[in-house]
Amino acid sequence: MTKFIARRLLLLIPVILGVSIISFSIMHMIPGDPARIIAGEGATKQDIEAIRSKYGLDRPLIEQYFRFMKGILTNDLRSIKTERPILKEISPRFLNTVQLAVVSIFISSIIGISLGIASAVRRNTWLDSFAMFFSLIGVSMPIFWLGILLIIIFSVFLGWLPSGGKGGVEHIILPAVTLGLATSAIIARMTRASMLEVLNQDYVRTAKAFGLAKRKVVYKYVLRNALIPIITVIGLQFGYLLGGAVLTESVFGWPGLGRYVVDSIFNRDYIAVQVGIMIIAMSFVLVNLLVDIFYALIDPRLRRG
Amino acid sequence: MLVKKALVIWFLVVAVFLFAAKYGGTLRFLFGVDATTLLGPNIPDSISNIVASHILEGLIDVDENLKIIPCLAERWEVKENGTAYVFYLRKGVKFHDGEDFNAYAVKTHFDYVLNSSLRNVGMFKGILKEVLVLDQYTVEFRLFQPYTPILYRLATSSAAWILSPKSIEKYGNDPALFGRNPVGTGPFIFKEWKVGERIELVRNPNYWQNGLPYLDGIVFSVVSEDVSRVNQVRAGDADIMYNPPPALLPALEQDPRLQLKTIPTVRVIYIGLNSRQAPLNDLRVRQALNYAVDKEKLCKVIMRDMARPSDSPLSSITYGYVPTGGYPYDPQKARQLLKEAGYSNLKLELITPKGRYLNDYETAIALQGMLKEVGVTVDVKPMEWGTYVGKILSSKPEDWDYQMFLLGWAPGTAEGHWVLFPLFHSINQMGNPQGTARYNNFFYSNPKVDELIDKIGSELDEKKLMEYYAQAQKIILNDAPWIFLYEMKIATVMRKEIKDLKIYPIERFNMTYAWIDR
Repeated sequence: MTKFIARRLLLLIPVILGVSIISFSIMHMIPGDPARIIAGEGATKQDIEAIRSKYGLDRPLIEQYFRFMKGILTNDLRSIKTERPILKEISPRFLNTVQLAVVSIFISSIIGISLGIASAVRRNTWLDSFAMFFSLIGVSMPIFWLGILLIIIFSVFLGWLPSGGKGGVEHIILPAVTLGLATSAIIARMTRASMLEVLNQDYVRTAKAFGLAKRKVVYKYVLRNALIPIITVIGLQFGYLLGGAVLTESVFGWPGLGRYVVDSIFNRDYIAVQVGIMIIAMSFVLVNLLVDIFYALIDPRLRRG
Repeated sequence: MLVKKALVIWFLVVAVFLFAAKYGGTLRFLFGVDATTLLGPNIPDSISNIVASHILEGLIDVDENLKIIPCLAERWEVKENGTAYVFYLRKGVKFHDGEDFNAYAVKTHFDYVLNSSLRNVGMFKGILKEVLVLDQYTVEFRLFQPYTPILYRLATSSAAWILSPKSIEKYGNDPALFGRNPVGTGPFIFKEWKVGERIELVRNPNYWQNGLPYLDGIVFSVVSEDVSRVNQVRAGDADIMYNPPPALLPALEQDPRLQLKTIPTVRVIYIGLNSRQAPLNDLRVRQALNYAVDKEKLCKVIMRDMARPSDSPLSSITYGYVPTGGYPYDPQKARQLLKEAGYSNLKLELITPKGRYLNDYETAIALQGMLKEVGVTVDVKPMEWGTYVGKILSSKPEDWDYQMFLLGWAPGTAEGHWVLFPLFHSINQMGNPQGTARYNNFFYSNPKVDELIDKIGSELDEKKLMEYYAQAQKIILNDAPWIFLYEMKIATVMRKEIKDLKIYPIERFNMTYAWIDR
């Protein structure tokens, strides 16, 4: 197991190198001059050139890449826009993103798995139709629209919850639910499909024939065996959420990483975008690793592999 | 009699109680993006400017009508044919860190600015030679040569907001850190900045204007989605936001909990006509394009009255503006001019940003329709802002092949020289190594206008100055280097209970006098 984890962690290095090269190339391939954009309207020639030389934007690309990688290793990178150390800019935003991702994946797992189980067990009843109808809506509803709708209902009209920003626990409810509903729909569908497949297995029929309680059959034998694809989906969704939910963050004024990276792209803040993307890539890889470890915990058969 | 008197007094007391400004409360202000830095000379954007203007102050300021008013200097004199400005400073003012404000502080500040390479020191470098201390409360600004817009620059530029000498000593070498530790003399003191989230200011109890400010503090928060910003104000989770989506304006106007304020700004929106190549090097074609555009209709239908037609490169509230009459909507004349120039079935390309300015792309599409009426086919190409700026403000000659482009210009200095000089002086044509503010990307050149702009930069006599302004604007209008479109307004949505909050046409909000009626 330790060997497996170590190997996977080592794999991070080429992934990160690759991501750094790709994000660097893309950022420098798109047209636009950060000095021009950051200096703002009405900057004089002097102002613009000062910014350019300060960040080495007038140097050859290869040199800029090595300066960037050196900066990463020595933790000496600064945002072009705010001139602050980049980790100081990114880490609070990344923590916010993690917070939102954890709460919403929690909400969506609870809703998704219970709906999925219910509709699989009571297949073709009104409950099943309702659950699948709900998840159809959840999958197809634009997050952006759902978010604004929730704000109008719960903040503007009812005044129960704050309409945005960060603060106490009440501030995370609406954005987490918005994100969670869409994700829960995907989880519900996956749970249902996976459960149905297991429910038709011979050993389930056997278990039933032996007269085991239905509850025990469903939770102990079926769910446990159906869990692998469900966890895969949850893991993937969690990985996506860690990349920042740009639309949700925008609608609720949630100061997360996704919106920051998008704004930084518009500002051509190369450093912020490159470091942001590397962190997103890294967390995606780590989440996948966690999922794999989870597999092994749930399914002893995989432990030997 | 006595009863009557008592009644009057009672009435007055009630009136004072009812209408006098109330102390207390925190104002919650919403932005779409986070501020960049609060270090005045390093501020590149209007959002940082709005925040910092409550912490830092300059020697002089502008009021909401863009008139120059005293601030940390009580009065000033122009000397030696405009190469020296003497300022008499206010006494008894203290910085937030307890340091005294005096002539030495002013000198320390400008020495720091002139010797730095911060983002907007270009406003003073090459113009301001040095600052001399005449006595403890008198300073003299020496210029390299007469430059009359200097007063407007001192009144509006964030680089001129005086920083505490102690803070310069402490943070001067690290602009990033300085940007999070601004120390000035303003009505509010910087308290906290949570990155990407909010900035908090608290009341300065020792502010030199007795009794001000009324508010206990201001919180600036970031919500990037404009509909969400509106909703927060509607829900009462915030007090003020600006630039709401125009589609929501009618609904906001009717909301009894809100007040909607719309004021004109110094920003003009125009179509630049690149006169480097045919057919736009032909004056008749450029004039024809101006006659073909129905500006009234653009403002009414596309802009929903958030703009008004412009007849000059200057907005009508920019200092130096003189009405020129502009180009009336006359498609007949447009067709005739095009015929004279020998063009039938003219094809042109118009590049435009999308979402940078209110309804910019929509305006471009409307223009396409209007120009079609006079036989000009326009191909509209929207571009992402960063790419767009890279193209139209490029220093590489191979990029100068664009024909028409939509752009806005807002002189933050509130005066016309900062419109005419960067945009219309031939020295500032793209690629000219002598240019100090190269924004003449439509390659306009008229020796007469160059001469007038130079005179505007140094004329002290206001009557003559306005005469030069009038001539320059008339000639430029006639030369038609742009399609003159409209000047923008700015809309602000506030809770009803917010009073006396001042909105300036240079995208500044002044909360010094604001109070909350709760």
